Amino acid sequence: MATGYAAPANTQYVGSLACKACHPEVWSTFFRNAHFKSVAMKKEDPAHTGCEGCHGPGGAHVASYGGRKNIRVFSQLTPAETTAVCLECHAKDLPRANIYASEHTQADVVCTSCHSIHHSSGPRFLLAKQQAELCYQCHEGVRSQFAMPARHRVDEGAMTCSDCHNPHGSFAATWGMGTNQTMQQAAFDVEQPCLRCHTDKRGPLVFEHASVRVEGCTACHFAHGSTNTKLLRRPVVFTLCLECHNGAGTFGRETASVYSTPFSHNLLDPRYQRCTLCHVRIHGSNSDPMFLR
Amino acid sequence: MKKLKLTILFIPAWLWAQQTVAPTTDAPVGPVRGQDAGDYNIVQSWELGYRFATIGGDQDLYRSDVNYGDGIRLLGSSLTVNSRDGHGRWLDSLSLTTQGLGGDPYQSVNLRAEKNGLYEYDMTWRDNAYFNPGLAIAGGQHLMNTNYKWQDHDLTLLPQNWFRIHMGYSRVAQDGPALSTQQVFGSQGPVFPLFSNISEQFNEYRLGGDVRARGFKLTILHRWQYFREDSSQYQSGPVPGLLNPSPSAATLTSYQQSQPYRGQTPAWFGNLYYERKWVAVDARFNYAGGRGSFLQNEVAMGLDRFGAAQNQQIAVAGTGDRPITSGDLNITLFPASRFNLLTEMSVSDVRMNGSNSFTQLNYNTLSLATLNFQFLGIRLLTGSATAHYRFSKKLNVFAGFQYSDRQIRSIEDTTSPGFPFAGIAAEQVDLLRAGTAGFNWMAAKNLQVHGEAEIGRDNNPFTPVSLRNEHGIRANVRYRLKSLSLTGAYQENYNNNSIAITAYSSHARTYSANATWSPTSRVSVDASYSKLHLDTIGGISFFAATGFATSFYPNQQSIYISNIHAANLDVRFAATKRLDLFAGYNITRDAGDGRSAIAVQPNPVTQLLYSVQTFPLTYQSPFARISWRLQENLRFNVGYQYYGYGEDFGLPGYRQGYRAHTGYTSLLWSF
Repeated sequence: MATGYAAPANTQYVGSLACKACHPEVWSTFFRNAHFKSVAMKKEDPAHTGCEGCHGPGGAHVASYGGRKNIRVFSQLTPAETTAVCLECHAKDLPRANIYASEHTQADVVCTSCHSIHHSSGPRFLLAKQQAELCYQCHEGVRSQFAMPARHRVDEGAMTCSDCHNPHGSFAATWGMGTNQTMQQAAFDVEQPCLRCHTDKRGPLVFEHASVRVEGCTACHFAHGSTNTKLLRRPVVFTLCLECHNGAGTFGRETASVYSTPFSHNLLDPRYQRCTLCHVRIHGSNSDPMFLR
Repeated sequence: MKKLKLTILFIPAWLWAQQTVAPTTDAPVGPVRGQDAGDYNIVQSWELGYRFATIGGDQDLYRSDVNYGDGIRLLGSSLTVNSRDGHGRWLDSLSLTTQGLGGDPYQSVNLRAEKNGLYEYDMTWRDNAYFNPGLAIAGGQHLMNTNYKWQDHDLTLLPQNWFRIHMGYSRVAQDGPALSTQQVFGSQGPVFPLFSNISEQFNEYRLGGDVRARGFKLTILHRWQYFREDSSQYQSGPVPGLLNPSPSAATLTSYQQSQPYRGQTPAWFGNLYYERKWVAVDARFNYAGGRGSFLQNEVAMGLDRFGAAQNQQIAVAGTGDRPITSGDLNITLFPASRFNLLTEMSVSDVRMNGSNSFTQLNYNTLSLATLNFQFLGIRLLTGSATAHYRFSKKLNVFAGFQYSDRQIRSIEDTTSPGFPFAGIAAEQVDLLRAGTAGFNWMAAKNLQVHGEAEIGRDNNPFTPVSLRNEHGIRANVRYRLKSLSLTGAYQENYNNNSIAITAYSSHARTYSANATWSPTSRVSVDASYSKLHLDTIGGISFFAATGFATSFYPNQQSIYISNIHAANLDVRFAATKRLDLFAGYNITRDAGDGRSAIAVQPNPVTQLLYSVQTFPLTYQSPFARISWRLQENLRFNVGYQYYGYGEDFGLPGYRQGYRAHTGYTSLLWSF
């Protein structure tokens, strides 16, 4: 493999039992590890079985009574080498095309940055820490967003980062303009991630709020957290609406303007400062093109 | 009184600190080797406790932000069963974890079971209770007190085989009471508060499989998706209108609305993957044919704003269709060990069209039915190419180009029965081009630097707030020693969508720093700080009446400045072999634009715009926990967390705040 790791010269496989003698603390609990199935199945070749499946042939290592130079030690591999080693088996479920296209790989965030094979925090996915804590290691700004008063409940354990994101890379988004979206996990393969839970916004509806479909939910909402209620981008709803509904030309479906507010809407009247007081079906309606019911 | 007693009971625990919201199953509980039963090894832990909460101030807002209450909870549990030789009779491994069972607002269960070579089964169940008052929206008249329930079941047969079968079932349901509003008795009519019963269900069934052979992998999956909504709204007693202009004699004496909706989306997913040493090809095809149909019946009686009696019925029926077709092709080339090239192309086509028949009866007057039609079509082509080159083990760079070509078409029309749709058709096309570049540099043994930048141009964005002239910069520096990790990051996103009227610009900058220090196995400190700064200016225009006359106000500016300082500190300390302490503090402080109060402006319009430019507030939460090992596998935990929320000066008519003392005590038993 072009991006692969060059194994040590001694290619003699000795089997996992040989490792047990010097690494009993690893072997004694290895039956709980997801990789143990490669041993139990007894169908894989030595290069993809047990300890040597990841660490490479151990013949030289055993003959030398240990050492770090005669066996594959992950802490000494470059990020690209680590990725290549893991994908030797996992490419069947995590396509290399998506892995290499992901922003994580671009930033040298590789498998062992998040997964701990021997010291995982839990049995699922061998994560080194709880998922959110792992992500916060690099995404400190996101930690701050999830600590805001209006937020998706990630810190509370109600949802996880991977409900909306695919840390291994995903296909291009089919909404928005295809930029800055490479790590989002499409709901139902083709929909915005938000619709995975907010199924009532999915429709199809007779009258769609076009910006929801064209630009996506983040045209009006922050995804992670906000100091504004309902994760809105503005604390007061009329400012959010008027920034588009201002009658400006060249925008909108008719390329003439986005609808502006009508003459009857006196903005100094508190009633017209609360747009959704009347426009209750703001995400889209089956009954009314103005989203009034 | 009960809460007060409990509060006093737990006062000693407040001297110590801990994160309250998370279960403590990750806490060290001594060497857990589990118990052997036959060929299986079983490890489990159970944390049972009592939560309490005392709240002062806006309880609705507390419930919206935090929502923890009182009661006995199974705060967390974990069970793993593993076959010691990987050859169990029915399963080789089982993992079951739970959180918050017994009444917490965020409850979940995860189950995974597998038998090597035969099956893998994953299940997730979540039940979240939400209370959303939406105080700043719709005059505080919208409120939801609903439960969201999720289920996901995935079963893979023959998981290690060249041929695998996938089956799945997912369900999302939301139900509960809500308050809403409705405008009735005319398009400029009064608005009334209503009760709602929310009832929504989404069900999905999945069946598919994949085949691997000769470097190819083909996956086919079919989804059957069904959505139904049976929400209703009603008002059974006379209620006055909300925020109505004078004269405001409006009264709603009776209101009933039902709006059943049924939707279904059959969907196909296909994926062909091919891999060789120098190339990987990933192709995807999707089709989802969404279709929904609905009826609405609305009956309202009362007085309009002039005091005239009203008796109104509205009946609407219609259907909507939304077929989505999309395809992707990713080709990744590995021509040399130092170089790879990624290309990606995708096309998607979304076509939404719907029609309805709207009939309104007022007293004995039958208005003609109105027929409405709307079509919205979005065709999107995207492409990107990115090249990576590794100069050495210490330095690699990447650069790429991406484009998106979007066509939006719409047809809208309203007519009456017997008259054909003429249709007002429109079309808009825009093209976005963006370039990216970045590097990863191992500057020193433990010092890693990453930087990347993006610049993009869209020739015809869809809305005034869409990306037009945008650039982004992202950089981070990471320094790692065995016991110390320091990171710093900067991110900037700037968009300028100014044209003659709107002059919109948005500038977001995030600075963050993090330090993690673990000098010994008994002590760890994690501290972080972020500054999130957002400046936006949007051109707006509107009508307003400062006297009897209504005037048009063009070329006004909507300014919003958010300047958020967020800090987080966590300290863990194993005081003795039996005693673990955990303390922390979170604070989010939006300093706004620096003003200390809302100053009086020369006229009402300026005053209104000035008062919504910034929204300073403070949200903070210190917490503490003590975990005491009573026996080898038994721990006693006590936690306390304070939540404080306060607005320096609020939105027009609102200034919210609350103070909440929450905590719990629990026993964690692991064996």
